[in-house]
Amino acid sequence: MDKITVKDVSFSYDKERDALSHVSFQIKEGAYTTIIGHNGSGKSTIAKLLIGLMKADGGSIEVDRLPLNEENLYAIRDKIGIVFQNPDNQFIGATVADDIAFGLENHQIPTESMQGIIETYAKKVHMEAYLESEPTKLSGGQKQRVAIAGVLAMKPEILIFDEATSMLDPQGRSDINHLIQEIHENETMTIISITHDIEEVAMSDHVIVLDQGKVVMEGHPSEILLKEKELIDLHLDIPFSLKVAHALQKLGMPVKECTTMEGMVDEICRYAMKD
Amino acid sequence: MPIRYEGLTHIYQEGTPFSYLALDDVSLEIKEGAFTAIIGETGSGKTTLVQHLNALLLPSKGKLQVLDRLITADQKPKQLKSLRKQVGLVFQFPEYQLFEETILKDVCFGPKNFGATEEEARDMAVKMLKLVGLDESYLDQSPFELSGGQKRRVAIAGILAMDPQVLVLDEPTAGLDPQGAKEMMDLFVELNKTYHKTVLIVTHDMEHVLHSCDEVVVVAKGKIKKQCDVTTFFEDVELLKQLRIDPPAVIKMREALRERGFSLGKDMLSIEALAKAIQSEVQKHE
Repeated sequence: MDKITVKDVSFSYDKERDALSHVSFQIKEGAYTTIIGHNGSGKSTIAKLLIGLMKADGGSIEVDRLPLNEENLYAIRDKIGIVFQNPDNQFIGATVADDIAFGLENHQIPTESMQGIIETYAKKVHMEAYLESEPTKLSGGQKQRVAIAGVLAMKPEILIFDEATSMLDPQGRSDINHLIQEIHENETMTIISITHDIEEVAMSDHVIVLDQGKVVMEGHPSEILLKEKELIDLHLDIPFSLKVAHALQKLGMPVKECTTMEGMVDEICRYAMKD
Repeated sequence: MPIRYEGLTHIYQEGTPFSYLALDDVSLEIKEGAFTAIIGETGSGKTTLVQHLNALLLPSKGKLQVLDRLITADQKPKQLKSLRKQVGLVFQFPEYQLFEETILKDVCFGPKNFGATEEEARDMAVKMLKLVGLDESYLDQSPFELSGGQKRRVAIAGILAMDPQVLVLDEPTAGLDPQGAKEMMDLFVELNKTYHKTVLIVTHDMEHVLHSCDEVVVVAKGKIKKQCDVTTFFEDVELLKQLRIDPPAVIKMREALRERGFSLGKDMLSIEALAKAIQSEVQKHE
């Protein structure tokens, strides 16, 4: 079933150039979808439209078959949780526990049940040992994990990551990528991740590629990530494993092309054994 | 003349309950004309280390020689202005520091401050904007209407317009898309190789270190853990593990294949070299 349907949506910030131009796509319920495109391709604009921060100039957006309009705005926002790029801009509590509690307080969850909820979600993001820590004592990756816990505690049906790892160091990035994988495996929610990280894309179920406000490619990452020429023309990266496959092919070794490092290592071993 | 740290210690908020030892008796020499990467985990002291280079921070103990200037603990260096002209420091997210109405005015601010005439500043600004990839059509635009990557280019042009001998960049590619980051790194390589500027870059991206830099300095807990050339550094897999460094993809794949029984030398640092080594391994078994 489609969780989100975006139909013929256009949007312009300045009425001169379209940030999004006749964009249509569907997001399947429970799927992990990544959206990629270079800076300025319209990725983040989509996130802002989905949560109703801005209104599309044309077209329609449906979430759970509810049309996104003023009447349904709050019902739809209740379904969606979003994690933004900058860890420092979304930490508002004095401690980790306070920060996770913020959303719960807004939803008038009784204080006595709050402690249990906070601990449950801190555990989910592996931050249970830091409940009383202040944000200044946390790394960027840890702050992002707390932000994710706060969002998860709201039990959203849809979780959006808007370049949630692009300001983190490699350790933080890999922690968050693993956490997204865990959430995808253990929870039922629909995940949308707007990202530059081609290795993250390789882990997702579906990828949507944007360029100049248009959807230019869409499909399973194992197909899309093999389109080397198209990706390079779009100023996107290609998976490292694909570069290796091409280098080997150039030397006369007909190995299969893979989109993940593990897959490529297996393929090289398989090829070497066969000979 | 090189850059030389001698027994440099930096303590933030010294003498208060919040006192924090950020650099601990650091001695280090940075080669003139080299492209040096400063790496280490978040909070290791990388930024503190580089902010001493134009006396933005002063040592709590020890001293630092930068070009012809000696910066010591007990006295504020004289002629700070000329030091800051020679050592250009680009902060993290420099685009947050743009402030002028037009891109031209923003880039001219530095050189004018250092005594250039209106005309000289303009010439320099036009030249440097071109170097960072922004042509003359941008001059009269507001810097705030640009994309994030373009804003960062303007901010870097502003530093370059002062024609510094030493360029220090603190995580200059953070938050850029892969293509933008690559173009940015290529620009720094050009500044280093063609314009002979000494370049220091604080980074977490080991791909950039491997492909663009000459030297590596590893900072951990306020101390220098290691300093060597890039090739030697990436050959030492044990050290990378010990320092909890996420190695470049080519090294990850090389190690994964070695674990599966391939005998590959540790000097495979490019895809081509790795592919050739795999080929000769496969042929050996035929």
